[in-house]
Amino acid sequence: MIKLSHVTKRYPNGHEALKDISFDLDAGEMAFLSGHSGAGKSTLFKLITRIEKPTSGQIIVDNQNLGRLSRAKIPALRREIGVIFQDHKLLMDRSVFDNVALPLIVIGMPHDEIKKRVRAALGKVGLSGKEKQLPITLSGGEQQRVGIARAVINRPNILLADEPTGNLDEALSDEIIDIFADFNQVGVTVLIATHDLRQVERLSKRTIHLANGEIVEPAESIEDTEQVASDLELS
Amino acid sequence: MLTYLTRHLQVLFATLGDMRRTPMATINTLLIIAITLLLPCLLYIAVKSAQGLSQNWQGRPQISIFLQANVSDNTAQLIFEEIQLHPAIELAEFISPDQALEEFRILSGDEKNSLDQEIEFLGENPLPPSIVVMPVIESSASAKLQALKDELSSFDGIDTIRLDLDWTERFNAILQAFTRVALLLSALLGIGLILIVGNTIKLLIFNRRHEIEITKLVGGTDTFVRRPFLYYGTLFGILGSLITLGLLLLASELVAQPLQELASLYQTNALLHAVTGWELLTIVLCGGVIGWLAARWSVAQHLRKIQPR
Repeated sequence: MIKLSHVTKRYPNGHEALKDISFDLDAGEMAFLSGHSGAGKSTLFKLITRIEKPTSGQIIVDNQNLGRLSRAKIPALRREIGVIFQDHKLLMDRSVFDNVALPLIVIGMPHDEIKKRVRAALGKVGLSGKEKQLPITLSGGEQQRVGIARAVINRPNILLADEPTGNLDEALSDEIIDIFADFNQVGVTVLIATHDLRQVERLSKRTIHLANGEIVEPAESIEDTEQVASDLELS
Repeated sequence: MLTYLTRHLQVLFATLGDMRRTPMATINTLLIIAITLLLPCLLYIAVKSAQGLSQNWQGRPQISIFLQANVSDNTAQLIFEEIQLHPAIELAEFISPDQALEEFRILSGDEKNSLDQEIEFLGENPLPPSIVVMPVIESSASAKLQALKDELSSFDGIDTIRLDLDWTERFNAILQAFTRVALLLSALLGIGLILIVGNTIKLLIFNRRHEIEITKLVGGTDTFVRRPFLYYGTLFGILGSLITLGLLLLASELVAQPLQELASLYQTNALLHAVTGWELLTIVLCGGVIGWLAARWSVAQHLRKIQPR
């Protein structure tokens, strides 16, 4: 479903975010992407959703070679992928309903159908009855779940989640990761970027470790993460 | 087709809702558009009214035919009859020297004495008999009048022929120059309007930058993203031009009374060009098209630059 071969991404400022990355995620697979902040997880997501273009290498998503994807076909690609962002990327001046409905509005779905689907999606993430609220009135965890509802509303084949449990407590983190596992159960390919090793261990799914833009062996990465953590504590 | 229509209606109402949410900014923009559109409309009405006047006069050009002073009454009558029967002439009036003198006396407001004294001094009425002729409408164009004049000159007993054309021609020349200036001014205002609306749309685009980014992230096409802005531009244009119509109505109410008096003094009716329904519709359509063009231009410039980060 997602296949990267020898992908390198260098930003105009010279920073090399990803170095010669290759991995293959099968359809219906669920995996974690771990690594310290700045390891290149977000860049990887930006490449898969064609927000950024790789400097070199090939990316194939749902049998489409992103290097040959014309501008006009980018929206269709993004409709196949549900993305959950660490900063939620919600429209703060629009209701929860409008936020969740957005992916359906852009494809011109009739309003009645949109209503049904939004209710169902909000029910699934435990936000029933909050349609009319503004996201700003919700807690961080609730906002995160609005983002999840928006990501899954169009029944995408692929779900990408960037630090979905960022600042949440353990119970809420478990709840949110379990929602992703549920979608995976019905055949959705799921890739979750997290440095929350507890979740990685709890679900015992395949894990891709990134460190300084390169894929590394698990042990090394954990050390690396711990190193960063201790560095942070020292500073 | 139906979903396409519903989608457009949704955007239309969403845009109207957005406009209502920022009433002051919307009213400002609409007033700027209305006033900018008003000037070309007023110029148009002025040109049209002037054209109407000029046509009124041209419909009744006059040819004054002065006979030689020494022709006998009999010959004069014969010439008059011949002219009266000419196919290019609708009306002809014979003015004898005595009538001419009487008219002159009335026009000069003279109280008998001085004019009579002068005539006494001359010993006879110096005015020649004359014929005032009104050609048929088909012969009223200035080229045809000239031909008619040349034809009449060949008659025996005619001294001079004068066409009352010079001043209408002068008026038409002035009108033409004025029309050119009005067109140029209107074109400039149109361009100005596109710039104003385009800039307003640009501000709207940047205000909604976040929304545009997210819409593109969830798979919104360029067409989808730009549609509300095109509606904004078109609605600005249409609503602005509707205000222009209101202002036009107000202006015509204000000048109606004095113009009516002026018209009655000159014994004509309707000095002001009465705007037709089609012209009103054209104004609104022009407003809409200008707004749409401005939005297209602005969107083409700015929307592509906004991409998700």
